[in-house]
Amino acid sequence: MEQLPFTALLNKYFGWLALALLHALHIRVRHPAAPIRDSVAMEILVAIFLLLFFILVRSRLSVESPGGLQHVVEGLHGFIQNQSEEIIGHHSERFTPFLTTLFVFILLSNLLGVVPGFESPTATPAVPLGCAILAFVYYNLQGFKAKGAHYVADFLGPVWWLSWLMLPIELISHMARMLSLTIRLFANMFAGDMVTLVFFSLVPLGIPVIFLGLHIGVSLLQAYIFVLLTTVYLSGAVAAAH
Amino acid sequence: MRTLSYVFLALSALFLAVPAYAQGGATGSTTNWVAITSGFAMAIASGLCGLGQAKATAASAEALGRNPAARPGIQLALILGLALIESLALYTLVIIFAKVK
Repeated sequence: MEQLPFTALLNKYFGWLALALLHALHIRVRHPAAPIRDSVAMEILVAIFLLLFFILVRSRLSVESPGGLQHVVEGLHGFIQNQSEEIIGHHSERFTPFLTTLFVFILLSNLLGVVPGFESPTATPAVPLGCAILAFVYYNLQGFKAKGAHYVADFLGPVWWLSWLMLPIELISHMARMLSLTIRLFANMFAGDMVTLVFFSLVPLGIPVIFLGLHIGVSLLQAYIFVLLTTVYLSGAVAAAH
Repeated sequence: MRTLSYVFLALSALFLAVPAYAQGGATGSTTNWVAITSGFAMAIASGLCGLGQAKATAASAEALGRNPAARPGIQLALILGLALIESLALYTLVIIFAKVK
């Protein structure tokens, strides 16, 4: 079975654990010799790298003499916080940890595909779906937390005599948000890979680099768009009733 | 004279249908219709999304020219709008990859 070097490593040492877990959940395993797929292995790599990165940053935090790393991370944190303040309004600082983590995770997942020997976990449909479901659950939970049971009134529309029409429309539109977040991220990453491969099959030298560069730009933009849209959905969920 | 040249143009375009006669003796249709339609579908989707994005970019550039102080808001609206329009073309691509074997 063709797998990446890191996936082979994970399957060698943790394959038994994954197999036991999958069998306990009664999930049929297609390749018992390699129960951990490439996308899952890459996600684990991204998670380990981010954990080490955050620990490194935390250990180097200093008020008197901030180093370069602290400047970078403060810049990122400030960027997400300013944006959520602009979109959500007051008291938006409590969403910043989630949004920053989502941004860094998606960004690193997207960029990992450019390195040879690794692939983007976001180039498979399952990973962006996971991020979209997470964002969906998060903003609905925040809506319930901010407004209590009255959050359901958001789905019923502006006037009570239209609520029979508004409820299905609102529910479908909220489900479509998950769908659009998933497909936007997945298709951008997948199309970037495809286009690079197509041009590689046409002109193996030089030209695919341009498309790889475009793919890097698109990776950054798509990570930003995912977080921007999550922020917009959050603002819709927690906005104070006027 | 002009009408006659248009008539001849239309008639010559109809000659494009001649290869259809070649399939008469074949065991079954060997043309891969899915590939042909997916090419057209993607081209139409990309073309229309290109037009939509051009309108969005033009409007935001004009707004920025009129009111440079509103740059953050205009930039936000532009990026959000472009990404949403882009995703419409990408839905077509995903359907193609889901349906083409």
